[in-house]
Amino acid sequence: VTADESRASLVVLGVSFHTAPLDVREKLVYAQHEVADAVGELLDATGAREGVLLSTCNRSEVYLVEREPSTTQAVWSAWSARLGQDASAIGYVHRGSDAARHLFRVASGLDSMVVGEAQIQGQVREAWESCRASSGAVLHRLFQSALLVAGRVRSETRVTRGAASVSSAAVQLAKQIFGSLADRRAMVLGAGETADLALECLVAEGVRASVVASRTFERAKTLAAKHGARAMQYDEAWTTLADVDLLLCSTSSPVPIVTPSRIRDVAHARGDRPLCVLDIAVPRDVDPVVREIDNVFLYDLDDLQAVVQSSLERRRNEVPAAERLLDAEVARYGDWLASLSVVPTLTAFRARMDDIRQRELAQALRRLGPLSPAQHAAVEQLSRALMNKFMHDPTVRLRAAAAEGDGLDVVAAARYLFALGDMDVATVAPTPHEEIASAGRTIDSGDE
Amino acid sequence: MIALALIAAVLCYVGAAALAAAPFVRPVAAPVRTVVALLATGVIAHLAGLVRLSLDLGQLPLFGLGPALTSAAFLLAASLLAVEVMAHEVTLTLVAAPFAGVLTLLASLVGFAPVDEPQGMRGAWLVAHVALSFAGIAAFGTAAAAGTMYLVQRHELRSRRFGPVFRLFPPLATLDRVNHLASVVAWVGLTVGVVLAASYAVVYRIVEGPKIVWAITAWLCVSVVTFGRLLAGWQARRAALLTSVTFAAVLVLYLAMRAVGAEPGKFL
Repeated sequence: VTADESRASLVVLGVSFHTAPLDVREKLVYAQHEVADAVGELLDATGAREGVLLSTCNRSEVYLVEREPSTTQAVWSAWSARLGQDASAIGYVHRGSDAARHLFRVASGLDSMVVGEAQIQGQVREAWESCRASSGAVLHRLFQSALLVAGRVRSETRVTRGAASVSSAAVQLAKQIFGSLADRRAMVLGAGETADLALECLVAEGVRASVVASRTFERAKTLAAKHGARAMQYDEAWTTLADVDLLLCSTSSPVPIVTPSRIRDVAHARGDRPLCVLDIAVPRDVDPVVREIDNVFLYDLDDLQAVVQSSLERRRNEVPAAERLLDAEVARYGDWLASLSVVPTLTAFRARMDDIRQRELAQALRRLGPLSPAQHAAVEQLSRALMNKFMHDPTVRLRAAAAEGDGLDVVAAARYLFALGDMDVATVAPTPHEEIASAGRTIDSGDE
Repeated sequence: MIALALIAAVLCYVGAAALAAAPFVRPVAAPVRTVVALLATGVIAHLAGLVRLSLDLGQLPLFGLGPALTSAAFLLAASLLAVEVMAHEVTLTLVAAPFAGVLTLLASLVGFAPVDEPQGMRGAWLVAHVALSFAGIAAFGTAAAAGTMYLVQRHELRSRRFGPVFRLFPPLATLDRVNHLASVVAWVGLTVGVVLAASYAVVYRIVEGPKIVWAITAWLCVSVVTFGRLLAGWQARRAALLTSVTFAAVLVLYLAMRAVGAEPGKFL
């Protein structure tokens, strides 16, 4: 570990939906295949040791392990050129533990536009994997920790639970009625984009789209073919309504086309079986009086929005619990970084002790006069053994303190006591696992 | 020892219900494993109490008001435990566990005075009748609990209230399935129990009016629910409503008959 490396630190620079509108963010979006080259260019421009670029529709962020705290200007310059405006004015910078916390919040969905959304975890993983060549021990560990804590937030809190979109609200409502939606039959009235999206969500849950009915038969045929359903005209569809469990309405009709009289007949034919009617059309396709019919569960767009709002409110209430998990993981990551600071200290400690040993050995040999090779070797061995014995306990205790999270204070004390010179332990260079291991082996072997 | 075991069982039932209710008061998931473990502990403690009671009485704890009530409570808790283990769903605890706890407490308050009952083949015949009848009543109670929850959840869904009940109660289809299965089990248990009772009455020429009225009423109620489902295709709200109302009616009838003329210390 060189002195230069020992002064590097973690930093994140970014532009997100918090700070910039979409027309600005979209200029900073990097396609998946561009990411590796882009981060390589940023490393060249900044001189940073490691880098990962996270680019989604809501944020572009670069995580760097910098040698000197002067990388930000180079990143802003590169991004300003791409944007055609001053990127630093709409960006943010976090350093050290704040940078780690920021990534943990991002990966957990706490920093997302829809709190708790799940997609971001996969995007963080993709970013890390795309930048494997340009990341080292510090960022590998950082991203591993971020994905780990995101998983814990997902499983140990309810921050990701509940519907966060109208489509998922429709699924949640249908599930509260039918339990599993596998093999439930659905009829769709209307063949527009909204109907297609909503139907996709239902089909993903196992719903069988049996009928797509539309005034424009060709469009009905297209949507029906996509989901393996039958296309029909409206008049024909009413006769098969009694066989379906879910009715999804999304036509552009200016007046309700699903009337109480039609549904009353259907409900009668269905007996006690519930019918779920999801009306996502504006203006509404279903007469609200349909709601009064026994065993019919009618939900319109306002109801679905109410489910979404209720879920989001509960998600927001879970954020403090998620933040507590993050606190623990940030501290753990900080401890790990601190443990790395022990390595240069131990190396310096050993070098200093060996220097003293050699000087004292040379003086002793001069005083002793001519010695046989065997005697010379025995004296030299004695000096090494004494040095290793003296170093053993401090070495073991330094490593233990680092492992227990007290590394920074103990390292500072050791450097003072053994006159090892100043080192900015707060920004100490992160070192790959291999370096720690090799340093450990060097010291351990010295004990023999 | 009996009192301790039964108190422990009641505490476990109430504790399980409280834990199952936790998500209604703060945003946490229901601790399914803990609820099931607590319920299982209660059932084990209850069983230990019943075994000790059997040894003290020298007969199965099925005869007399106290032993009968606590046996019924045990069967209700055991059937609840079985449903929850199979369904990985603990919201039924909210209704059924406190009910089992109340029955156990009532039994303890009434006391466990021994009642002279026949031994040998005749005794075994009577034991089979009482045990199957209680199992049927316990399953009927489970069906009623599921039915009541169905009605509450349905009300929330139809009135478009998306609060804790909407989120935490099982889907309507699940509650309907539990109601259906429990009704069938209840009908089988009560039918065999009533047939055994009728043949016993004929062979040994024993006629006890209140017991006959109550047993026939309970059997008719369960039969209407079960055959309405199996033959007439009743399900969902109709079945849930019918199960809840008929079970409540059977309970009220029992209390009324006891209030009117049952001998002290006897079930009826």
